[in-house]
Amino acid sequence: MGMQKTREIPRFLCFQCQASERSCRWQLLQVKIGGMTMAVEVLRMEGITKIYGNGFVANKNVTFWLNKGEILALVGENGAGKTTLMKVLFGLENPQSGQVYMDGEPVKILNPLDAISKGIGMVHQHFMLLPSLTVAENVVLGIEPMKNGLFDFKKAVEMTREVAEKYKFDIDPLMKVSELSVGQMQKVEIMKVLIKGAKIIIMDEPTAVLTPQETEELFEQLILLRENGHSIIFISHKLEEVKRICTRVTVLRHGYCLGSYDLKDMNEADISRLMVGRDVILKIEKEAPHVGKTIISIKNLVKVNESGKTVLDDISLNIHEGEVVGIAGVEGNGQSDLSDVLSGMGGFTSGTVELNGSSIAGKTVHEIRQMGLAYIPEDRMEYGCAGDMSIRDNIIADRYFKKEYRSGFFVNRKYIDKIVDQYIKDFEIACDDKNQPVRMLSGGNIQKVVVAREFTSGSNFILANQPTRGIDVGAAEMIRKTIVKKSREEGTATLLISADLNEVLECSDRLLVMRKGKIVAAFPKANEVSESELGEYMLGLKAMTAEQMGGLL
Amino acid sequence: MNKTRKIEITVELIRIIAAVAIAYAIALLTLVVFSDEPVYIIQQFILGPFSSMRRLGSVINLAIPFTFTGLCFCFMYAVNKFNLAGEGTFMVSGCLTALVAIKIGDTLPPAVMIPLLICVGALVGVILNAIPALLDIKFNANIVVVSLMLNSMLVFFAIWILKYKMRDPSIGSLGSYLLPENALLPSILGKMRIQAGLIVAVIAVILVAILFYKTIFGYKMRVVGNNPLFAKACGINMVGTIVAAQLIGGALAGIGGSCEILGNYDRYKWVASTQHGFDGLMVAVLARRNPALVPVAAFLLAYIRIGADVVNSKGDIPVEFITVIQGIVILLVAAEEFMGKFKKNMIYKAAEESLAEDKKEEVKEILEESDGKEK
Repeated sequence: MGMQKTREIPRFLCFQCQASERSCRWQLLQVKIGGMTMAVEVLRMEGITKIYGNGFVANKNVTFWLNKGEILALVGENGAGKTTLMKVLFGLENPQSGQVYMDGEPVKILNPLDAISKGIGMVHQHFMLLPSLTVAENVVLGIEPMKNGLFDFKKAVEMTREVAEKYKFDIDPLMKVSELSVGQMQKVEIMKVLIKGAKIIIMDEPTAVLTPQETEELFEQLILLRENGHSIIFISHKLEEVKRICTRVTVLRHGYCLGSYDLKDMNEADISRLMVGRDVILKIEKEAPHVGKTIISIKNLVKVNESGKTVLDDISLNIHEGEVVGIAGVEGNGQSDLSDVLSGMGGFTSGTVELNGSSIAGKTVHEIRQMGLAYIPEDRMEYGCAGDMSIRDNIIADRYFKKEYRSGFFVNRKYIDKIVDQYIKDFEIACDDKNQPVRMLSGGNIQKVVVAREFTSGSNFILANQPTRGIDVGAAEMIRKTIVKKSREEGTATLLISADLNEVLECSDRLLVMRKGKIVAAFPKANEVSESELGEYMLGLKAMTAEQMGGLL
Repeated sequence: MNKTRKIEITVELIRIIAAVAIAYAIALLTLVVFSDEPVYIIQQFILGPFSSMRRLGSVINLAIPFTFTGLCFCFMYAVNKFNLAGEGTFMVSGCLTALVAIKIGDTLPPAVMIPLLICVGALVGVILNAIPALLDIKFNANIVVVSLMLNSMLVFFAIWILKYKMRDPSIGSLGSYLLPENALLPSILGKMRIQAGLIVAVIAVILVAILFYKTIFGYKMRVVGNNPLFAKACGINMVGTIVAAQLIGGALAGIGGSCEILGNYDRYKWVASTQHGFDGLMVAVLARRNPALVPVAAFLLAYIRIGADVVNSKGDIPVEFITVIQGIVILLVAAEEFMGKFKKNMIYKAAEESLAEDKKEEVKEILEESDGKEK
């Protein structure tokens, strides 16, 4: 069923290549065939195996190559080994075995400086810019022009302008980076790489932080770069993007390379099947919510942070029993501050927040949790777990004091063991046993531990901040489904804050957009909103008036 | 992943043994240069502490105060607060225990007197450790600086008490009046002449281990120490837990001081800091912050010290030399990345092995899958 014979053969052969020497021969054949279309190989990574210090094997005998002037998509679920492979290429990680070839010559890449000198540039997922400096100063960092022993700012601006003109970047070299939008910052990152003469550019999930409009601009830029003879490795798990701008795709799964394919023979479903090994249900089936009484009520909430910036600007909103309210927005527009206020981790300046009828002002986290809060924090390693402690110890962290979990001064080990075993089963946490330190689990399983704790706390308000960031599709799917299921079956009120547009569109009933600490748009039905419409509100191209949002908050 | 865990534990053990072995090897090499009879000296150093029951008793006797202060620093480590007041606490509680004992005199039976005096020691420990703990929590004063300064003050406080409150003018050296008979801890285990503080120490170790791993408080303490931000996000009362842990630790150091005075002395005569606190810090590091391992680490340290004494009395090597060897042992054991490469290589190897197995299985699965499709 499903795949046609023609596609089946390369997949099988290529997988086999991982097991035996035959693979290489087959791939060489491919190159020969490709040779007829004049593809010149600029980079080849052969048999890369990378094992981390904790025993985790991130890359298992991975082989892939990059042709001159192509955009190659590197796809795979989170944790499939894409980033590790690129870190190896960029000299950030040392592989246990494998060889890198550039223009057919074997090379050894010692460190990022070495990689840059060999013409490899990397645009990181998290920008590495100095916000207080100008664009020009950031761009020339590392190759600063000097005059009389001093930094030559004029020359720096000139150099930046030159690159900007050559590659049609519409950006002012004199602007401070802190004044730029996320999309513009990314352009600065790309310019940084170009000015150092990179011929191979690695883009690590470049569209993850961009709005749909900014993504369009980036794509135009990438195509221009390709035409200028640059080769680009494009890491993404958004398949429609891959299909649009890439010519070939290399698929990784669980650290293995499942081969490289010409994209004209593949559709999105084929790629996703290779990535995940099964068909992923991207749509969550959900019935209309039975909205009940108000669980949390936020009125005129204002927060001015320590540096005097108004990060939450007069936010009012109610969340009712049985509904999932999503908040979309470009990161850093007050979502984290809102989550801090609601979870009791940070205070607020004015306004009221009532959870189940009583105000949370001045209450400790413990008290707010007792009032009905469950909280999935944004950063699971920092706020969501204690890495060196066991799964059991992590799961009981919010309830160890409850009657059934203790016997006098002592921990009720027997009862806890029973409960934790049950959760490990229910939430499909892949582990040795409940005594395993959490740090040894994969990202997705760590998040499952967090979710197992928060979803079983008996609270009727769940604050989920980026609940599926950076975890594999399977775990993400389970978490999203559970959020919806809890709201439908148990009447939980949920506030879902996410930078993943797909996620908020899929899971939410009502959808709000936050920008600069304000709610700028409200939609009664999340599944009727298009991504591009959402993008316009996120970017501030459009904003709803209070009347338009009336009754929707 | 289970393999990784096993490797980590195995390497940890090998690492500690290797550290000790290397330290002895260095000692031997240096002895060859400095001593006329290096083999005899090293033999004395290694076997000396076990050469008689009396000496073995000395080792255990010395391990008792180390155990108390080691437990004290396990608490400080558990909540990630480097409150070093344990050092001064040990001395002052010894001093005040002696003072109280002298003031009460022979009026009470030992069964009442001794527990009472131990309580005095514990109370002194609680009060003294509360000072840096509260300054840290309330005013965000650097706890290391505060507790170190406090230690200097405590030394002179103890000397002042000795000089002006309980000095016995009838003896030539500086010392207190004789401690009353009914306050002294008896020797136990016959020839070994071990002070009865051993019993208190054993009980303390057991109670602390239970507190750490079985109780609600121990659980909270471990969460707070492991990841304070996580503890906060889960609503665990951090301030209370952090302060309480330091107070309990202080009480243990205090009990240690009391037992030391009542078990090994007939009068109080410390005029300088005893270093038992800092030795306790070392013991806690050697025990990997695990209270159940504290007696083992304390015994190891005591064994090295007594070995040094034996060498000092028998050979031509000064006791300071032994301090160097001690330093090397601690250095290597505390250096967590020592043999890190060896550990990593073992982990890589194990990962590669399981990788090969996985691959076989996956190939089989794929073959079956495609077979299924053909049908």
